[in-house]
Amino acid sequence: MINNETIKNNEIEALDRREKTDAERWADIDRLEAEIEMPRTQKRLGMRVKRIFGNTVGQIFLSVLSFIWIVPLIYLFVQSFRAEPGAWSPTFFPKTWTLDNYKRLFTPYEEGGTKFLQWYGNTLLIAVCSCIITTLFVLAVSYAFSRIKFKARKPMMNVMLILGMFPGFMSMSAVFFLLKILLPDNYQSHLSLIIVYSAGAALSYYIAKGFFDTVPYALDEAARIDGASRSQVFWKIILPLSKSIVIYTILTSFISPWCDYIFVSYIMSGVPDTSMYTVSLGMYKWLEREQIQQYFTTFCAAAVVVATPITILFMWLQKYYVEGVTGGAVKG
Amino acid sequence: MASLSLKHIYKVYDGGVKAVNDFCMEIEDNEFIVFVGPSGCGKSTTLRMIAGLEDITAGELRIDNEIVNDFEPKDRNIAMVFQNYALYPHMSVYENMAFSLRTAHMPKDVIHQKVTEAAEILGITEYLQRKPKALSGGQRQRVALGRAIVRNPKVFLLDEPLSNLDAKLRAAMRSEISRLHQRLKTTFIYVTHDQVEAMTMGTRIVVMKLGYVQQIDTPINLYKYPDNMFVAGFIGTPQMNFFDATITKTGDDVRFDLDCGATINMKYIQADKILTKYMDGKHKVVFGVRPDAVKIDSPELDPNEWEKTKAVVSVVEILGGETLVYANLNVDTPDAKEGAIVIKADPDFFCHRGDILDIAISKVKFHAFDKETEVSIRKRIPEANIINCSINAGKLSFNGEQLTLPAALADKKADNAVLSMPVSALHLGEGEGKATVQWIENFEGKTLYFLKVQDLTLFALEYGDPVHKIGEVVSFNIDARYITVPECGILPLKRENSVAGTFSKEKKEDDKNSYNFYMEMAGLKVRPTPELCKKLFACKGTKIFRTDLEYVFDAHDIHVVDMKRENVTIPGKVSEVLDYGVAKYVRVAVGNESIIVAHDGKIGDEVNMILDCDRLTVKDKSLDITIV
Repeated sequence: MINNETIKNNEIEALDRREKTDAERWADIDRLEAEIEMPRTQKRLGMRVKRIFGNTVGQIFLSVLSFIWIVPLIYLFVQSFRAEPGAWSPTFFPKTWTLDNYKRLFTPYEEGGTKFLQWYGNTLLIAVCSCIITTLFVLAVSYAFSRIKFKARKPMMNVMLILGMFPGFMSMSAVFFLLKILLPDNYQSHLSLIIVYSAGAALSYYIAKGFFDTVPYALDEAARIDGASRSQVFWKIILPLSKSIVIYTILTSFISPWCDYIFVSYIMSGVPDTSMYTVSLGMYKWLEREQIQQYFTTFCAAAVVVATPITILFMWLQKYYVEGVTGGAVKG
Repeated sequence: MASLSLKHIYKVYDGGVKAVNDFCMEIEDNEFIVFVGPSGCGKSTTLRMIAGLEDITAGELRIDNEIVNDFEPKDRNIAMVFQNYALYPHMSVYENMAFSLRTAHMPKDVIHQKVTEAAEILGITEYLQRKPKALSGGQRQRVALGRAIVRNPKVFLLDEPLSNLDAKLRAAMRSEISRLHQRLKTTFIYVTHDQVEAMTMGTRIVVMKLGYVQQIDTPINLYKYPDNMFVAGFIGTPQMNFFDATITKTGDDVRFDLDCGATINMKYIQADKILTKYMDGKHKVVFGVRPDAVKIDSPELDPNEWEKTKAVVSVVEILGGETLVYANLNVDTPDAKEGAIVIKADPDFFCHRGDILDIAISKVKFHAFDKETEVSIRKRIPEANIINCSINAGKLSFNGEQLTLPAALADKKADNAVLSMPVSALHLGEGEGKATVQWIENFEGKTLYFLKVQDLTLFALEYGDPVHKIGEVVSFNIDARYITVPECGILPLKRENSVAGTFSKEKKEDDKNSYNFYMEMAGLKVRPTPELCKKLFACKGTKIFRTDLEYVFDAHDIHVVDMKRENVTIPGKVSEVLDYGVAKYVRVAVGNESIIVAHDGKIGDEVNMILDCDRLTVKDKSLDITIV
């Protein structure tokens, strides 16, 4: 007698006997791998106590350090709200609080205010332009040094590294005369500042190069076999993987012209039209002996306004510094 | 689907380090080739040269009959799987696989179809939207395979794809890759350092060591007929047992005296592929026998096929399916290196350290190597026939046979001389010699005859299936071009001409913008074919004009012609005529060089010759590598 039980058993046997499909075979392999995955080792309690203690000591030390570091900044910030005139204040916090300093900053010069807005615009223009040029320069040079093997690569890298070690302002007078040759009509212009800030950018290739070196070369090779050209490899594979270094490069190349005083003061000094100034030059003029009494609190307010965009930029982009972007590229 | 041809491929790094030396191989469509060897043997470099990721210093690489030396990787129609997968970490699995198709600007629906198809084959459909870092090692490896599959390449290159995986998973993936090969019906080239992978997957295996190819053969032939000690030791686990030894032949008996004290006695017929010059009792040789050709003695083992001896046990490894016994043939020193032998015993066999075992060593499945050169002296096809003979009045006599020598050797004379020649220089079917066919081996489209002339064994290698039978008396003759008799100064005819020269260019007279190219040799200028120029430029670029070259060509690749044209024909004067019966040659003086040409001329003839550029070999003298 054949009953349902035997039929079912026969079916199961038949299932077992038939050849496995692709999907089943792969599922088997996945299972195999899941089996051999190693269990995580659990840390012992003693280790944890030690670690917590160590962390606490470290964090207290760092808190003290950061307090010392932040005091001048807080002073500057609160002074920008001081109503009393003069450069010197006997108290840390102002007696009377006001927003007048900020109002004065944003009031046009003709209406009794300052030229700060014009300076701010100038600086922004210069910083953005040179930031774009510098970033492209640095990334291109670093990528070339990291990936392309050409004859003069090593000597060129060494020469650039040594040149980069000299302080930039050493070349100031030479740069000035070069600008005079290059732009004989308007060498005291924003264009010349942009040129000065971005021309030597490639000298700071080494951080980005160091980063590109950590991106496995096998990725380039795989992409080249996949049919990508060198530039496609750079734009489609390497750059997306290098977000953090791209952002680092953008930030540094934005900050240096944004905060620079030396080159501006040298190149733009003696320009009769003070509305051509950048913020650092213009604000420094406020600190001169004749002006400081009148402008100190305005200076503080201006400093806060100048620092704001950089601070926002940093806070917004800081996660890219810590993100491990190459995870999963190669077996770790 | 493609055939590959690698001709004299070299890789020389700056500083003169040669990573790959003279790699020659023809790979047929749909083969699964495995490059295997210890690290640093040049196997990955060769693969990367095929992929186009590494420049080829010299040589010619063809994919489907097209020279691709100068092609970018993407234009070679290959796909490569890297050891560390090299997946693009910022792209999803789908994007990873679609990348190459998108770069080739394929329509979206085609891309989608191909990617899903490949994902199905590899069972990664459910991971398509994941990033690589969310996958396990085995899954990443499959994505890397998928990225290669979607391109539908002519050749699949795999660079140690399984070495990052766990051992158990590796075994599973191994069979999956084999299955993939059968399914895709494409040429696969697979690099590994693992001989098990090589033996299980390859249709043919290339064994490499220190940049040199050691042997190219099927897995079974590598195992059975290793060309040298390296291959013998590398293929097969446990390793082959090696013993330093000497061989002595007395009458019909041959005795191997192993340095550890043991002896192995056999009939000459069992060792007749070994040249008698090694059997003088002095020549240092290495006797090799695989662990599975050594057995624990039992009465049913025929003493004619098995040498029975004793060994002392040092270590026993019980593997479950088999038991490995590490022993020593010298029963006094179980741990000495000399005389150490590994025996593959039955799983049920059991013994202890210090036990003295009766073992049997095979007299059929053994190997012998020259101690100095490490080359096998018991190859499947013997190297040479050695004949003790005397030569007089144009007659060669040995063992009651007398053969007429051709005119070129008619004046030679020697008694008690030793003649040697390659086995393929002995032709059966016609001739003055008579011999009895004693044994026939037929393999891979070749037939090896064992012939008996009185007590002398001779070999003849013919192509095709056997046409004679065992016991048949056949006539034979000897191709005198290839014989060597040192006693009377007979050397094999050196058909290969080698002329030093350079490669130069000259502006055309009528068109100042283009050049004529010349091969300069022996004070003459000869025009090469455009094909040859292309090959030279492909390898050396403009450096070719500053390189000292050597032009090598066979006597049959230079032809005497009736016409005369400057820079095309090579003029010369016949200085000597060599008549070898089967073919006639003349020695021709060209400039200050003397070359050999296949031609039946007379001394003093002025001849004009044309060089066959397609068969010309060009060597770089300073690097000592073959360019074309």
